[in-house]
Amino acid sequence: MASAPVIDITQETAVSSAKDIAWTGKVHSYRPKGDWRTRVDAGINFHDDAIAELDPVDFEVIRQKLWTINMAHGDTITRISGSPVLATLDFNMSILTEDAEVVLNAPYVQFLNAGAPLGIRYILEHYSKLPGIDDGDIYCCNDPWIAACHQMDVLFAAPIFVEGRLFGWVANAGHQYDLGGIVPGGWPQNSEDVHSDPVVLPPFKLVEKGVMRPDLEAMYLRQSRLPDMVALDLRAQIAGVVFARDQVMALCTRFGATTVKAAMRRMLDQAQQNFQRKLNAIPDGTWTETRYIDEPLPGIRHNQRTQLTVTKRGDRLAVSNAGTDAQTIGTNGIPFVTWAGSITGIVSVSMLFEQLFAYGGGERQIDYEPTPGLLTCVDHPAAVSGGILHSVPMMNAMQAILARMMACDPDTKEDLVAPCADYVLPVLVGFDDRGNFFGQAILDCFACGSGARSFGDGIDSGGPTFSPLSMILNVEQIEQWYPLMCLYRRSDRDSGGAGKWRGGNGLRVAITPYRAQSMSIVTNTGGQGATTQNGQGLFGGYPSPASHYLIRHDTDLNERMVARVLPQGAIDLTGDTVWLSGKSNGTSLGHGDVFEVRIGGGGGYGDPLERDPALVERDLADDAVSQDAAERIYGVIAGDAEATTARRKALRAERRAWSRQETDTAAATAATGELDRAVHEYVIARDVDGERILACAHCGERLAGYSGSYKAGALMHEGPVTQIPSAPDPARFIDDPMVLRRFACPGCLTQIATEIARAEDAVFPEMRLGLN
Amino acid sequence: MRFIVGVDIGGTFTDCVVLDTSADGGVAVKIGKASSTPPDFQSGFVDALRAAATMHGVSLEEMLGDAHVYHGCTVGTNALVEGKTAKVGLLATRGHADATFIMLSGGRLKWMPANYIAHVAKQTKPAALVPRTLCEEIDERITFDGAIAVELNEVHARASIQRLIDAGVEAIAISLIWATANPAHEQRLQHLVREMAPGIFVSISSEVSARVGEYERSVATIINAMIGPPMQHYLAALEVDLATHGYHDKLQIMSCSGGLIDADNARALPVLTIGSGPVAGLIGAANLARTQVGGVNNVVTADVGGTTLDIGTIFAGTPVRRATASHGQYEYFVPTLDVRSVGSGGGSIVHSDGQSLKVGPESAAARPGPICFGRGGTRPTVTDAAAVLGYFDPDYFFGGRIMLDLEPARAALAELGSPFGMDAEATAAAAMRIVNSQMADAIWLTLTQQGYDARDFVLYGFGGGGGLHAAAIARELGMKTAVIPLSDLAAGWSAFGITASDALITESVGLGLGSPFDPATINARLRELEERVLAKLAKQGVAKDAVTLEHHAELRYALQTNQVSVAVEGGVYDGATVGRMVATFEADYERLFGKGSGYAAAGFQLTSLQVRGRAALSAVTLEAIDLESGNSTPEAKTTRVVMWSGERLVTPVYDGSRLPPGSVTSGPAILEFPDTTILVDRDASATIHVSGSVVLTVGAE
Repeated sequence: MASAPVIDITQETAVSSAKDIAWTGKVHSYRPKGDWRTRVDAGINFHDDAIAELDPVDFEVIRQKLWTINMAHGDTITRISGSPVLATLDFNMSILTEDAEVVLNAPYVQFLNAGAPLGIRYILEHYSKLPGIDDGDIYCCNDPWIAACHQMDVLFAAPIFVEGRLFGWVANAGHQYDLGGIVPGGWPQNSEDVHSDPVVLPPFKLVEKGVMRPDLEAMYLRQSRLPDMVALDLRAQIAGVVFARDQVMALCTRFGATTVKAAMRRMLDQAQQNFQRKLNAIPDGTWTETRYIDEPLPGIRHNQRTQLTVTKRGDRLAVSNAGTDAQTIGTNGIPFVTWAGSITGIVSVSMLFEQLFAYGGGERQIDYEPTPGLLTCVDHPAAVSGGILHSVPMMNAMQAILARMMACDPDTKEDLVAPCADYVLPVLVGFDDRGNFFGQAILDCFACGSGARSFGDGIDSGGPTFSPLSMILNVEQIEQWYPLMCLYRRSDRDSGGAGKWRGGNGLRVAITPYRAQSMSIVTNTGGQGATTQNGQGLFGGYPSPASHYLIRHDTDLNERMVARVLPQGAIDLTGDTVWLSGKSNGTSLGHGDVFEVRIGGGGGYGDPLERDPALVERDLADDAVSQDAAERIYGVIAGDAEATTARRKALRAERRAWSRQETDTAAATAATGELDRAVHEYVIARDVDGERILACAHCGERLAGYSGSYKAGALMHEGPVTQIPSAPDPARFIDDPMVLRRFACPGCLTQIATEIARAEDAVFPEMRLGLN
Repeated sequence: MRFIVGVDIGGTFTDCVVLDTSADGGVAVKIGKASSTPPDFQSGFVDALRAAATMHGVSLEEMLGDAHVYHGCTVGTNALVEGKTAKVGLLATRGHADATFIMLSGGRLKWMPANYIAHVAKQTKPAALVPRTLCEEIDERITFDGAIAVELNEVHARASIQRLIDAGVEAIAISLIWATANPAHEQRLQHLVREMAPGIFVSISSEVSARVGEYERSVATIINAMIGPPMQHYLAALEVDLATHGYHDKLQIMSCSGGLIDADNARALPVLTIGSGPVAGLIGAANLARTQVGGVNNVVTADVGGTTLDIGTIFAGTPVRRATASHGQYEYFVPTLDVRSVGSGGGSIVHSDGQSLKVGPESAAARPGPICFGRGGTRPTVTDAAAVLGYFDPDYFFGGRIMLDLEPARAALAELGSPFGMDAEATAAAAMRIVNSQMADAIWLTLTQQGYDARDFVLYGFGGGGGLHAAAIARELGMKTAVIPLSDLAAGWSAFGITASDALITESVGLGLGSPFDPATINARLRELEERVLAKLAKQGVAKDAVTLEHHAELRYALQTNQVSVAVEGGVYDGATVGRMVATFEADYERLFGKGSGYAAAGFQLTSLQVRGRAALSAVTLEAIDLESGNSTPEAKTTRVVMWSGERLVTPVYDGSRLPPGSVTSGPAILEFPDTTILVDRDASATIHVSGSVVLTVGAE
């Protein structure tokens, strides 16, 4: 193991006082104030007229057309670019109103669109006079404190003018090959601050009245290691917004701008109303999630804490990052835009799917309450490009919170999904045998397992919830592009979290150099994906085990190949074993060496002892779960129903010995006279003896008062994370002791919750109903 | 041969179009229809033949004794849809058997409807094509350059094959990594299987679809194996039946590549028959487009059926092709004409989410069907809406084969529309407008993805609903012209397309050649492909000198993913020819993806070569066909009250078959054919073309 660099990560940036935070995009992120429109130049004539009586059929027809235009916008980008990055759909595009509310988003990477409303409002506030906003203009920006999730996801935004008035905007944000910085590809894990990152460009007007400015294009490309390729993608992204802009203008010509605007407003209103309706069906309360982020810089054996708190009051959500550690040097934080995008992205796929990604109106119901200077709302000059993958544990935190909220209503419960895996991203860099440079991220994590549902298993290699359409490339395509041979890419046993419904399994992929002059591996990982866990489990389901990066040096692969026997796994080979941490900046892979990456699965749902034994036996036959997991976690002895019953009884009885928590008496709430109501897979709110309590839905055991933590009344077991089948030991890379906590009803011994925490951290409250 | 017989078996009807080439005044056409008879489709086949023979005034035996029979068969498609396929085992390269489970992750959603993609919690993966227990991994490895990294381990392979045989598989699919670059191991495994289990159906990826991409290639190979045995069984039974009735010529089968292959070829590559029906429709349209009906030969076809709209594109007279097709969420490689299905059709359900009216993608399909069919349907469909608007004669729907019951349909539509303040007619009109707009949007998106502008095209509408929707879709797309081809044949259009098809054999080889390309490699590969094409055509009964060879190459820029198939020269390649190949690619790339969108500095990749051999099987041209169209003065046979955009008008109804060529009917009007109803809106007119097609001119301005 490489020795850790001597850097004091406890040296924190001063946290601003909440009162008068300057959200200007300079130090703190840009957030438009309520009165931002008053700072827009008077020369901008907003088109905000909409007909009052919109024909419902006109509405449906225009809605479809806007959807089709937005999808064709995406096709235009992939077609023109031809980039392998954009071919995996690592971008997104949107249509916005004149004042930058998102009318339509697309089924690509969800959080990428969060920058558009911020960037456009910034442009309106700051540049509407000089250099001005005109018909035919296109602005470009990759400033993470204004409008980019990280520098590599560059935003292009074009205003739509109708009869001289600003009708709306179209925008896209897409990932670039390279924009400079100390490591090729734009994911420098060893950046201490933004000055080592790829270039940062606040909004600038790249295209003026239809003509691209060559001086600004040259400036944009100058820092890139692959300027020609970036120039092609630049043209593709510009062509995309031009195409979409012209199509929206044609729609206005045909239906009348005021009719189209009325349809856009109605889409926003419908999203808002649907969101309000769903929120109203959920009891008021506060839900929190704690996730950790490993290794501020490569080799630092510590993690830092993030917390996400969502308070639901009536039909509104307030979202806070309080409780998150302050930012330090290193690639461990995300800016406001990425944090906010993680929230809206998950709301969009979980609660606004009927709107077909027209989520903007839903955002009207969300109040962001970020504290700047914390890891989930970092200030300038934090390093952010290499930290983008931490958006995934944030999305998973939001997903767990929403899932728990949605379980409180029988309708929305059908739509909840447990978190998927965190993102592991190995990058291969080197030269092929003809001397050509290559540097490419392996995006196979787009085939991670998805989380379990309330009625069924997660989808094996189903892909992340936050980007439904993103796909992986064929092995043959990858081998055509890069000098490697893929030894296997197979579905990975036990990688999904166990549960009544198990998480979908991820993949295990191994490569060896083939016709390469040189090759080295750079690793980038979100959250604790390479040490401790992937997706959280819900309602007693297990978290999915961590991923890994494994190198085997000087193996007997060649001898085996000569003997006509291919290895089943990298671990079966002889040779030296090196586990790479979540952040590493270049480990050489030579001839005969093998690199394996494990792509995680999704979180599980419900007590695994409630899983139908027939499903466990099917999974055994399909090699989707191991014998170990079947017996130790599911209590299933294949082919022996009697033994299974006995085993399950014994496993359940073991829980009797778990420790009792202190009962939370302070949270007593008087009876309300309301009906019993399920607020969790295994917890029900009901009146008992004059008190409103949280009780076990199976056996009626009192767990807590209504506004208490149901975990307080549960039995708890705290043990090593390696109890999760196939989970690596976090201590391989992290010195902070990490534990798996399991909670069971003291009455019927059903496992009702799991969590992974630093041993020193108190039990997570998870859910507190009622608002005091 | 006197008769040319085209038979298209659909889920409900078997259509048989018979051309009598010795008729007075050219070629006489008759359509015989019979109910399809699953699972023994050959009975319905013979019934339809007999019906058509009767219409030509000859006996079935007389007809078959002097006929070529061309056949579009859905046996493979039906077997897949109903899950009645063979039990298949898979042999894959060690480490890669999971490709068809992984399904490229989100790639499986690429062609799914938006509401399915958006509702993440309700997504699923389809059942595995081959259960894991029947997947065997083989120790062997070819690399992208065709080198053998690991020799085939025959000892292990034999054990794997034996396990599959013991498990009772009826077919084996073999799909190895980079078999496209070097098929030696696949061929050797095929040999081993044949040796160990002589009767078993074997399908190898390098023969089924030699394209780079193990997922789509494996799916193609597996599907081929799944439907191989049922197809063999069916063709054997059919050949016996046809022989019994006096047919002794070769049976030619329609393929999705856009031409006919012989029955033996179809037995080996049944995957080529999937989707051949809609492709035949597109071939028929391409033949018609050569007569310049509608003024240009850029045509987009809308085949409007009960559950789907099939969209095809003909650019400059040539149907647009694509390299993949879909089976549910599975995508697979097959050289096919580009026909895309979207879930809009007559059976699409009209519904409401409380906030607005919506149409589809859910369909009432054939069962329970539209409410007005009286077969138990309770949810209103597009067909119900059309009926309520007065588009159909309730007693003459499908030539009187289905009686329409309007009242329950009206009541359901009224109930649906009432929250929006709309009565039955208004709701019906809204549904028509929404579905027309949806169809137009789907066509627009297709053309945009293919790199075309809808305004440069005319629309051909066929299938049961073509006449209802064509003009509205054309108007929506900014087109001036919609054509209902050979109106009387519109409902049997696929069968007609089959009779008009050429023999066509497509052979291709996958490559991973970096520029500068070695002409010797290109020459060697092209000669091999030509030989394979000519051998197959010879077996099909085509003389060598009747064959036209077309050569195609697929290239991409080395650092970009878009692959473009371009027509290239045959003959012997040298530096200059290679240069022209690259120049053609660059020009086509720029046309498709825009000026300056290719990055030439990093060079090019040649990813596949393809040779197509084509030969006309009959000398019949469309111009020679005599549709016995009317020659009377066009007079309305009746009038009916029809709703036109909210206006209730007494509308003349014409017997379409009686309208003479050149006659012009101004809207509002309805043209009724036995199986098709054509709407002529108030600002449109209908002209009968000499081919018998109805040309609708929309937008009076």
